[in-house]
Amino acid sequence: MKIFRTLLLSCFIFLASCFFVTKAWAFCGFYVAKADSKLYNQASQVAIARNGNQTVLTMANDYQGEVKDFAIVVPVPVVLKEDQVEVSDSQVIERLDAFSAPRLVEYFDPDPCAQLWRSEDFLAAPQAASAERAAPRQSNSALGVTVESQFSVGEYDIVILSARESGGLETWLTQNGYRIPQGARQLLQPYIRQRLKFFVAKVNLEEYETSGYQSLRPIKITYESPRFMLPIRLGMVNAQAAQDLIVYILSPQGQAEVTNYRTVKVPSDAEIPLYVKDEFSDFYKAMFDTAYNREGKNVAFVEYAWDMAGCDPCSAEPLSADELHKAGAFWVTPETPQNVFITRMHVRYTRDRFPEDLVFQQTNNRASFQGRYVLRHAFTGEPTCAAGEAYQRSLPRVFEQQAQTLARLTGWSIQDIREKLPQVQSRFMPWWQRVFQALWHQS
Amino acid sequence: MLFHDARIYQIVFLSLFLGVGIATRDWSLQPLMIGTLFATCCSVQWFASVYLTATPPLQSLPSALITALGLSVLLRADHVSTLVLAGAFAMLSKVWLRVQGKHIFNPGNFGIVAALTLTQDAWVSPGQWGEEGWYVLLFLGAGGLVLGRVGRWDTSAAFLAAYASLEAIRNVWLGWTWDVWAHRLMSGSLLMFALFMITDPRTIPNARMGRLIWAAAIALLTFFLRNVWFISTAPFWALFALAPLTILIDRLFPSERFTWEERSLAADDKEAITDALLPAA
Repeated sequence: MKIFRTLLLSCFIFLASCFFVTKAWAFCGFYVAKADSKLYNQASQVAIARNGNQTVLTMANDYQGEVKDFAIVVPVPVVLKEDQVEVSDSQVIERLDAFSAPRLVEYFDPDPCAQLWRSEDFLAAPQAASAERAAPRQSNSALGVTVESQFSVGEYDIVILSARESGGLETWLTQNGYRIPQGARQLLQPYIRQRLKFFVAKVNLEEYETSGYQSLRPIKITYESPRFMLPIRLGMVNAQAAQDLIVYILSPQGQAEVTNYRTVKVPSDAEIPLYVKDEFSDFYKAMFDTAYNREGKNVAFVEYAWDMAGCDPCSAEPLSADELHKAGAFWVTPETPQNVFITRMHVRYTRDRFPEDLVFQQTNNRASFQGRYVLRHAFTGEPTCAAGEAYQRSLPRVFEQQAQTLARLTGWSIQDIREKLPQVQSRFMPWWQRVFQALWHQS
Repeated sequence: MLFHDARIYQIVFLSLFLGVGIATRDWSLQPLMIGTLFATCCSVQWFASVYLTATPPLQSLPSALITALGLSVLLRADHVSTLVLAGAFAMLSKVWLRVQGKHIFNPGNFGIVAALTLTQDAWVSPGQWGEEGWYVLLFLGAGGLVLGRVGRWDTSAAFLAAYASLEAIRNVWLGWTWDVWAHRLMSGSLLMFALFMITDPRTIPNARMGRLIWAAAIALLTFFLRNVWFISTAPFWALFALAPLTILIDRLFPSERFTWEERSLAADDKEAITDALLPAA
């Protein structure tokens, strides 16, 4: 421990911009575009704040396509009235994302011969935005379909439907000009029989144009239901490949977990070579892929679990009481102490490995966890004491360990990694170590 | 002689599951927590043997270990005190909650319910095993072996058959594909419950017909709690709620009380070991 000391923490990331290049709104519903626009669902973000049975669910709108073609059907547990639906600020999801993103931490080894000193520095935390467009229109009719409520919120026109059978619902949607994806009909039936309602949203173009917003904002719905689930099956109707879903669960209790699939922590606290700093998103992507494959492709990964009152290190400032309230944590008031525990889960799902919708539960587990990867800057000055010499001699071994860790986590070739490792030339290095090192770099 | 005691099998298999869970699953188990459960269960059992039931303490030790192992596998808590409470309630329930010499609740189940209801920091993770096929084989194999020794396989079979049928009916009615049904049944936690928790010969009905009815009733209640009230830990609540039904069923279907292993034990030992034989989880 005395060999090196933390000088500088930093952090950040996010994967969103680079990692989830093509985000889309997929998890709980399917698009019902009217045009033949290419729609594909790759990743989506949703925030669920829940206390008891009271739930506030915010769906980030990452739809990529023409706004006028946007329309979505999402099963919801209860009939939603106008005052239960709001348009939220997309910054809320961005803030949750920034706060909980896996982070890179840098440590600087001090001069082993000098007195210990310490300082801190923070790197910027680039954030990814979501956003895009959408749009369609609507109409009315029966066929066992009841329009439970109908209203406009912000740039969205919303209809809440209940149906008696999937054929009727499909006909209603078709008659009203929505294009149902192939295979959706069979999937609608289980939801109808479970007495779920259907939240159908499209963009009111007039509102959208006058609002001046550049992208569609998240939709926030509030309801009370013992069901704590996300219907992912519908979202798989129009997705070819695996889809990524990031769920932020806010709870006054503790960590949330999935009850019908395994919940696993992402690999964390690994010390990796310095050069990864410039390719962190590639690193994270490869590491996640490796973990996903190793765990059998049917688990939910926890990327972050923390009391939102603080963080260490922070990849972004903790959310203020007002921001938490906007994110759905309705139990937070300026007067009461902040009591919000966030769990960030990353689920990559495919039809064959995730036959069932995701069911969650809140636990009282208040243990903290973060996806955290450590960069350690070696001290490069000339050693002026015995400890310094020993330190320099230890460096090749340290670098090799970092390389091995990186190879294990990402599946990258160890040779490629070694080539990018820093060279340690030291007069204190024994001859055999120099030969060994030369061999590495030749091979 | 040692391996004629089904509790030894229980201990071996539950230890195996705990080891497999720690080694291959991402369980947030701490040695301190496991140690606490073992210390609590063993010391409370010891105390109960010496001061409450006046039985030789060593004879009851294996059942304390089984309860501790069962709780270690299933119950999670933030604080050590919660696990002390769970362990103590589990062991004391055997002594205090008895009808005609037969304890009403499965100790492990009682400990879990006590921790969930009386404290604010306990939880059970139904998804902790995942649903890989090899676990199913492991659970079925181990469960079968232990149940074979104890002679109460019919309870597991009745529970699983009833629960699988109910889920199948629901699946057909909803129109899900069959992989949804399989996924719901392949849960390691459900199988563990079916094979190791509801088979406790000391707390389940004595007559086979009684056991079949009782197991089917637990399956029905589990199904209801899971699908209507959306309780993910439904099996534990169902077993807890219906455990007292055993008293009634035993009256309706009178039968010999479970006396484990008439084949190999001396008559004197029978009662003591029978009394201690209570697979926890």
